[in-house]
Amino acid sequence: MAPKLSTTQSSSGSNKPIQTTSQSPFPSAFSALFKAYTQNTSSRLKFIDAFLVFLMASGILQFVYCILVTNFPFNAFLAGFASTVGQFVLTASLRQQVNPENKLEFKEVSHERAFADFVFGSIILHFFVYNFLG
Amino acid sequence: MKAAFLLFLATAAHAAKLSADSVKYSIISAKGEPSTKSFVPTEKPSSEVVTLSGDQTLKLSLQVVDQATGKGVQPEQAFLRFYDEQSGEEGIQPIRVTSSGKAKFDLSMAKPPASLPPTSTAPLKVTLLLGSSSHSPQKLELFNLHVPASHPAPVHPDEVKFHLLPELAHTFRPDPKLPPRAISALFTGIILVVPWSILLGLWLSVSPQVPRLFSPNILPFTASLGAFEFLLYRYWVDLKLGDVLTYGAFLGVVTVFTGRHALASIADRRLGSQK
Amino acid sequence: MRTRSHSKSPLSWSLFTLLSVILSALVQLSSAGKSASSTGDSVLVILEPAKKAEYSIFLDGLEKKGYTITFRAPKEEHPLLIEDGLPNFSHVILLASDTKSFAKDIGPQSLVQLLSLGTNLVLTLGLKQNLLTSLAPEFSLLLPPPATPLVSFFPERSDSPNVIPIDVSSQFIPNDTFSVLSSQVTGKVWFSGTPFALNPNPLLFPILHAPAESFAADTSDASGLVSDALADASEKGGEGLWAGSSLSVVAGFQTLIGGGTGHGPDAGSGEDKQTRAVWVGGSSLFSDEFAKKQVVEKIIQERGMKVVENPSGNKQAALEIAGWAFQERGVLRIDEVTHHKVNQTGPVEMYTTNDEIVYTTRISSFNPSTKKWERYSGLKDLQLEFTMLDPHVRTALLPVSGKPGTYSTTFRAPDRHGVFKFVISYQRKGFTHLHHTLSVAVVPPRHDGYPRFLSAAWPYYAGAISTSVGFLLFCAIYVAGEAKEEKKNKKE
Repeated sequence: MAPKLSTTQSSSGSNKPIQTTSQSPFPSAFSALFKAYTQNTSSRLKFIDAFLVFLMASGILQFVYCILVTNFPFNAFLAGFASTVGQFVLTASLRQQVNPENKLEFKEVSHERAFADFVFGSIILHFFVYNFLG
Repeated sequence: MKAAFLLFLATAAHAAKLSADSVKYSIISAKGEPSTKSFVPTEKPSSEVVTLSGDQTLKLSLQVVDQATGKGVQPEQAFLRFYDEQSGEEGIQPIRVTSSGKAKFDLSMAKPPASLPPTSTAPLKVTLLLGSSSHSPQKLELFNLHVPASHPAPVHPDEVKFHLLPELAHTFRPDPKLPPRAISALFTGIILVVPWSILLGLWLSVSPQVPRLFSPNILPFTASLGAFEFLLYRYWVDLKLGDVLTYGAFLGVVTVFTGRHALASIADRRLGSQK
Repeated sequence: MRTRSHSKSPLSWSLFTLLSVILSALVQLSSAGKSASSTGDSVLVILEPAKKAEYSIFLDGLEKKGYTITFRAPKEEHPLLIEDGLPNFSHVILLASDTKSFAKDIGPQSLVQLLSLGTNLVLTLGLKQNLLTSLAPEFSLLLPPPATPLVSFFPERSDSPNVIPIDVSSQFIPNDTFSVLSSQVTGKVWFSGTPFALNPNPLLFPILHAPAESFAADTSDASGLVSDALADASEKGGEGLWAGSSLSVVAGFQTLIGGGTGHGPDAGSGEDKQTRAVWVGGSSLFSDEFAKKQVVEKIIQERGMKVVENPSGNKQAALEIAGWAFQERGVLRIDEVTHHKVNQTGPVEMYTTNDEIVYTTRISSFNPSTKKWERYSGLKDLQLEFTMLDPHVRTALLPVSGKPGTYSTTFRAPDRHGVFKFVISYQRKGFTHLHHTLSVAVVPPRHDGYPRFLSAAWPYYAGAISTSVGFLLFCAIYVAGEAKEEKKNKKE
């Protein structure tokens, strides 16, 4: 049951089911997709998705502050914003690799290896972020 | 100082002095009748004032005479000296004297002679210099001539470097303005509260289980990651790059070790459970 | 190899010290000469031997000031002006103004070369054409046609109109500090010779002007012809008429040659290469005849006229004119230049933008009476430029009270980074030129030199830290929960 439904979902493992081409009214399509997501996504992926939403919110709010109030000091903005974007990218790729749907694609990459890469990349990212933060 | 003092009478037996007789000048405009004025110049500063505009011509006539006999003389030197006391500019104009001593000089401002010095707003002092080997010389102050100001005298391009130059100050970029602290603090609050409430809310709804949080296999790894983040935070606050790299290298080794151990234990349980 | 270097170093060291002792002794000898000049004692006077006696007062005066005088007839071959590319004399006076032809090593080129080699010149013009008439235009002098001496019928006197007393009191002061003819020149100065007009050239300045009533003319003709000739000349315009006080009879020329940095080990020698040339319209200004000749002046009083006979100022004026040429007066040098950050002492290799910089220099002037360089605080218009292509800052370098010879200023480094130069370029007529440049880098603040923890950046700091904390929490939960979840998933 699960594999069958998952084909309607984004193959890239995105947490937002936005690939619908249905002409049906938006709310019903949206709620259908949301329902499918909540029912068919493992709680581990939901856990990762929550972190992705958190990063996105944090990044968007910093960007809003930069636009509305000040971009000075610019290096600090770059560091803060890049930390959320970078972390988002790293987390998204972790999600892709541990997603059971992509098992065949990442056959040779174990979940542990993917997580180690994620941690390593994040530490390097944070090093640059604090370096630039000023 | 060896100075011999001798008293002479004013009428000492010297050559007779030169003088200028029947000194007249008129100013001729393009229209309007010329007015002629005659005056007697002396050696003392003259009170005569002559004003010439750009389209007028000054006509000066006089006769150089022997002061004693009143006869006309043709001297070697009959110069008009134009002198600007303010700028120190000077111009010398010889005038032609006939053998009977008569002399004429025209100064046309439309076509000023080369001898007229560059003028400012100050008047030119016009002096008549009469010199001859047979007579005593004479220096007569004619009048103060006001003429339109001309271009200043040409100067060498490097001349300015030989004088005090104007001071220069660098204009600095203005210091960047900081927004009110309250606004920054407000946004800081929003950036902390909103994402974290989303994160914690979503996580609570997923309610992940953490049975092995304090497991001896996992905890060292979590702790070393925490240490890493703390080190980076300290780097931001006050540590130097060199220190961070040293501590980071050490911590890296520890983290690799704890990470391997932790992930190996996870993999064991995962693969074990899969079987 | 080790033994060799050990055995060699003491020897080379002692040789080095010996050499340096000799060198420093030489340097001291050359700098502390016995004459009043800052550049040397030897003077070559080019003069017909028969006329030596006519200038005895002037030449004795020079010897009294400590100069050693060598004579050379204009056509004599020795001593040479320049031998093996080096000048033989520190100063050369050419008094043979009426000589038409000179020995072949005395020519316009060799005189210019002498100036570039560090020899000062006093050149006297005659009424006939000779090598100096062709050299004069190179110095921006405009000479009247040959055989037209300076003539003045003023004031009335029994002398020839070609022999003219010139008032020194109303003379040009080249800078606001000193004039070449000091107040010690009392009385009028007799002059006879050719005047010259000065083309605009900042290196050239008049020392003695012609009187306002004087003019250059050949007065041997009848009076009518003379006045017609003068009127004709003026109608030609431009350079037709030589008359009035814009003419000079003595002019000084300070060369730029050799410039030199005047900094570091060769401090001072750079200024030595700057030389001076004085042009004098007639050699008789230096003569005994004019030095002794009384000036008769009439002073109009209430009851008639008083006639006063005063000694002329020629003796003193001749020595002071030669003295300026020989770099006795108006000789400056930069001894030292230092700069540092405000509130710090040591020198720095580079400055950060917006640093407050303290720049200090020490300047000496040569004192001809003590024959020593003395610290000099008399410059009122010294300026410092801080340049990168263009001057970004130009500010007054003011004398520091209580520290003789020291000038200092404090300014803020521009907020532009690059290689800047501290530039002192002090050029004033009558003084040696001071030129000194020193490069220094101005760099942007280091990465940790910017202001930190600004309130404007709080949201960004919060964002970065919250990502870190989020990451940590994420990892902790992820690794702690995975196995069980995996199991749970499997069970489902």
